[in-house]
Amino acid sequence: MTILSDINLTVYEGQAISIVGPSGSGKTSLLAILAGLDTPSTGQVWLSDQEITSLGEDARAQIRGEKVGFIFQSFHLLPRLSAVDNVMLPLEIKGDKQAREKALKALTRVGLNKRASHLPNQLSGGEKQRVAIARAFVTRPAILFADEPTGNLDKASSQSVGELLFSINQELDTTLILVTHNTALSERCEFVHQLDEGRIQ
Amino acid sequence: MMQGLLYGIRRFPVDLRNSDLFLLFLSIVLAVSAITGVTFLGDRLRLSIKQQAAVVLAADVTLRSTAPIGPKYLSIAKGQELNTAETISFLSMTLHGGNSILSSIKTTTPEYPLRGKLKLLDFNGQNIDKPTGSPMNGNVWAEQSLIDRFNIGKGDSITIGNKRFLVSAVLADFPDRNDGFLAFAPTVIANIEDLDAMGVIQPGSRVVYRQLYSGRENQIDNFVNELQDLPAEVRIQRIENIGQQLGRTLDRSNRFFSLASLVTIIIAAIAAMISARRFAIRHIFNCSLMKIFGATQGFVLSALIGQLLLMTLLATIVGVGVGLIIQYILVDLLKGIIDSDLPGPSLQPIWFALLTSSCLIIGTVAPYLQQLRVSQPIRVLRNDLKLDYKSSFFINAVAIIALVFFLSILFADFSLVSTIIIGLFLVGLSLFCLGALMVKCCSFFENQIGIGWKLGLKNISKRRGESILHLVVFGLSLMALMVLTETRSDLINSWKQNLSEETPNHFFFNIQSSELDGIADFLSPRIGQAIKFTPLIRGRLLEVNSGSNQGTNSGRMIEREANITWYAQLPDNNSIAAGEWWGNEGESIQAVSVDEGVAESLNIGVGDQLTFNAAGMDLEVTVTSLRRIKWESFQPNFIFVLSPMVARELPQSFITSVNIPEENEQVVDEFLSRYPTVTSINLNSALNQIKTILNKASLAVQYMFLLALLAGVLTLVATIFASADQRRYESALLHTIGAKRSKIFQSIATEFFAIGIGAGLTAGIGAVFISGFLSTQIFELNYSPNILVLTGGLIFGAICIGCVGILAVREAVYAPPLLTLRDP
Repeated sequence: MTILSDINLTVYEGQAISIVGPSGSGKTSLLAILAGLDTPSTGQVWLSDQEITSLGEDARAQIRGEKVGFIFQSFHLLPRLSAVDNVMLPLEIKGDKQAREKALKALTRVGLNKRASHLPNQLSGGEKQRVAIARAFVTRPAILFADEPTGNLDKASSQSVGELLFSINQELDTTLILVTHNTALSERCEFVHQLDEGRIQ
Repeated sequence: MMQGLLYGIRRFPVDLRNSDLFLLFLSIVLAVSAITGVTFLGDRLRLSIKQQAAVVLAADVTLRSTAPIGPKYLSIAKGQELNTAETISFLSMTLHGGNSILSSIKTTTPEYPLRGKLKLLDFNGQNIDKPTGSPMNGNVWAEQSLIDRFNIGKGDSITIGNKRFLVSAVLADFPDRNDGFLAFAPTVIANIEDLDAMGVIQPGSRVVYRQLYSGRENQIDNFVNELQDLPAEVRIQRIENIGQQLGRTLDRSNRFFSLASLVTIIIAAIAAMISARRFAIRHIFNCSLMKIFGATQGFVLSALIGQLLLMTLLATIVGVGVGLIIQYILVDLLKGIIDSDLPGPSLQPIWFALLTSSCLIIGTVAPYLQQLRVSQPIRVLRNDLKLDYKSSFFINAVAIIALVFFLSILFADFSLVSTIIIGLFLVGLSLFCLGALMVKCCSFFENQIGIGWKLGLKNISKRRGESILHLVVFGLSLMALMVLTETRSDLINSWKQNLSEETPNHFFFNIQSSELDGIADFLSPRIGQAIKFTPLIRGRLLEVNSGSNQGTNSGRMIEREANITWYAQLPDNNSIAAGEWWGNEGESIQAVSVDEGVAESLNIGVGDQLTFNAAGMDLEVTVTSLRRIKWESFQPNFIFVLSPMVARELPQSFITSVNIPEENEQVVDEFLSRYPTVTSINLNSALNQIKTILNKASLAVQYMFLLALLAGVLTLVATIFASADQRRYESALLHTIGAKRSKIFQSIATEFFAIGIGAGLTAGIGAVFISGFLSTQIFELNYSPNILVLTGGLIFGAICIGCVGILAVREAVYAPPLLTLRDP
């Protein structure tokens, strides 16, 4: 079964693009392939001047660790880790000795420095997504992938999370690839790509 | 690699707060505790056996003979710088104030004992500090029983043979106490230099000559290697031989504890398998997420290995600590049976503990590591966080094979392990069928009752597999305890059943033929029973099939001391196992009948020729029958019974057994003061001691099986937690649609109490069958189920599962709906 076909997409450094489309159109599959979480059956993906589809799982993981940040619709915070521990996770994997300081700084940036020791189930949906944003930016990634970042949030939280996402993106000059149903959010990107039945329209 | 290890170790304390890892940890701690508790005890007992064995001999090695051994070996030993001592022991009459008592006289050199200590008291009961040595010339030390019977005080003397001795101390304890026929009479220790002056050893006297040697192990080995030309009558005894005998006894008794720890480990392993599965499911998400953030497969694997290594180490340390406590409890419970002043344990059980925890981790968690290592990060985006169910069979098979392999190594007994596993499987299968039937019954009642009850019973049938697992695992451990409780009381009751009012409780021996009428006339009217005497001939089995060319077992030297008797009629408590009883022909044939157990060990069969030496004569007799003896009858029983023709005219003493009620005990005192040469053995204390041993040992085993029950509780909690998330969401949903907390509580209570009653019932039914089998087939008792134990088990099962179940899922009842519905 073919999920994606004839995809030819170039995203330049510092650009913010969004991919929109109906459910089942292949948005998440495209995002996974672009981020090196999955490999296409044919074709190539180049990320920061490096072809990643021919690389092994570990090499792709290493590139993700160095260059990629992620934000998910369901937040995906580790339930037994506090907010600061969740933010520290990608730094610890890299072996960063100043992981805690950097994580606390990132939490301060998203306005949650007072909630650093709280567990995920003690946070609201908006707060969880802020922690997830802090976790995504804490390694200063070159590219940020966001999969429906406001999909599980109410209107007010969606708005504030969107504001935060774009303002940090601008601050750090990160490339942003956003998959969303949220029109307001997608319209803030420089380019909007419509995906339908696995093809970019 | 190192980074991953350190990350895993750093995360361990946080991860341990997860129920899956914590339950896995507890399961392993429990298994380690069970095995170390038993091995620590076994280890301490084994170490004490080595010490006890030396005490039994009073040396590291002894030469024992019924003829003088000569100075040759003593001078060899002295040349090799070994310590030496000598004892010469025999039975003789001791006299005081016109009374005489048959006593065991032990004459010693001043170096005695080389191992173990003497314990001497003065006449005020105060300890005399003299751990080794022999009395001064003209002095003796006598045991309390002799002092009491002679009514001796300070400064009194006794006469042995031609010499008078001052009794200078009370002999409270000494090593090498048990030495065949000498053991029954009160002991008197004298100086070996006074032996000649006594003048009691005549040609033909029964005397035991012993030479004692001690030294370093290699010195002893060298010495023993030089003892090649020992005469046939000189026997060599080393502590290893004694240790082996004691060790075999220990191994047999330790088997029951091993059995309990084996069952505990198996049930704990089930809990570990369930927890490991939850651990793996949770880590699919964690590992996939870590990979999204750049973790390599090596990092993920080493982080997991780091956690598991740390957990193995911690579980071993905690388990060893708990095992030590268990071992102290067992030693305390067995006080009186075993010496509570045991030497400290060695480090060997710690290796067993490490082996147990490592194997359980490897068997239960390792098969998941590969799945976790290669888990795809894309699964996070797809919310596909399930385990690969196709490999479940492989994973469980690996766990079971690893468990069987490890247990076989640990218990060094593949047949025991496989028998227990197959037995548990079969019992588990039976419980499974019963459990399935009960679950079916629950669905029948679902429509007859209110909503709270209905939801609870529906949960049982909805989670059919989980419910049956609870019934089987918990039922199994509860059943083991119930069987033990039932069998324990049966065993103790069996003593009461076997011992009727008329069961003899006193043995009198060393009765001479001239005393028979007098003793019968004295005892009969006082105790209201006819007195039956049995002849007792001291002899020695010399050879089997001497000078015969028949068969393969011709001409074997045996040299075995034996108490022999003769009967015309076969006693009630004996039955013929092979051959024929001689009946009236006993007056005309030279025959012997042998106990079938001894016959088997000496390879004696019907038709074999045996040569005995008794009263200085060699007697050649033919084995005409083998007997099965009911030793528990407490009647005088003999391994060798001669035909009347052979033995009627031989020198012999007599033995009798009588029942004297405890309130009539003064008859014994009167009797012994009238017949001081008669030796008495009071069986009441022996019976009470056996009863105490049975009681304590079975209680200790029962305590060990409590660990198996605890493992059952762990399994219960592990399975409940495995479905905890689902329960949480169901409860939250019920809250949301308006169900009161009391209704949700009622449904949970119904579910777990019903499972508890089910487990109690299945355990009870299983216990009735197994206890019935053990009682009727093994202990040969009448079996009637103990209603108290069965009802107790049922109530205990219901309360235990009910409370544990409610506690495990209480969060679902009391958490506010909003919180429980919120994503983690």
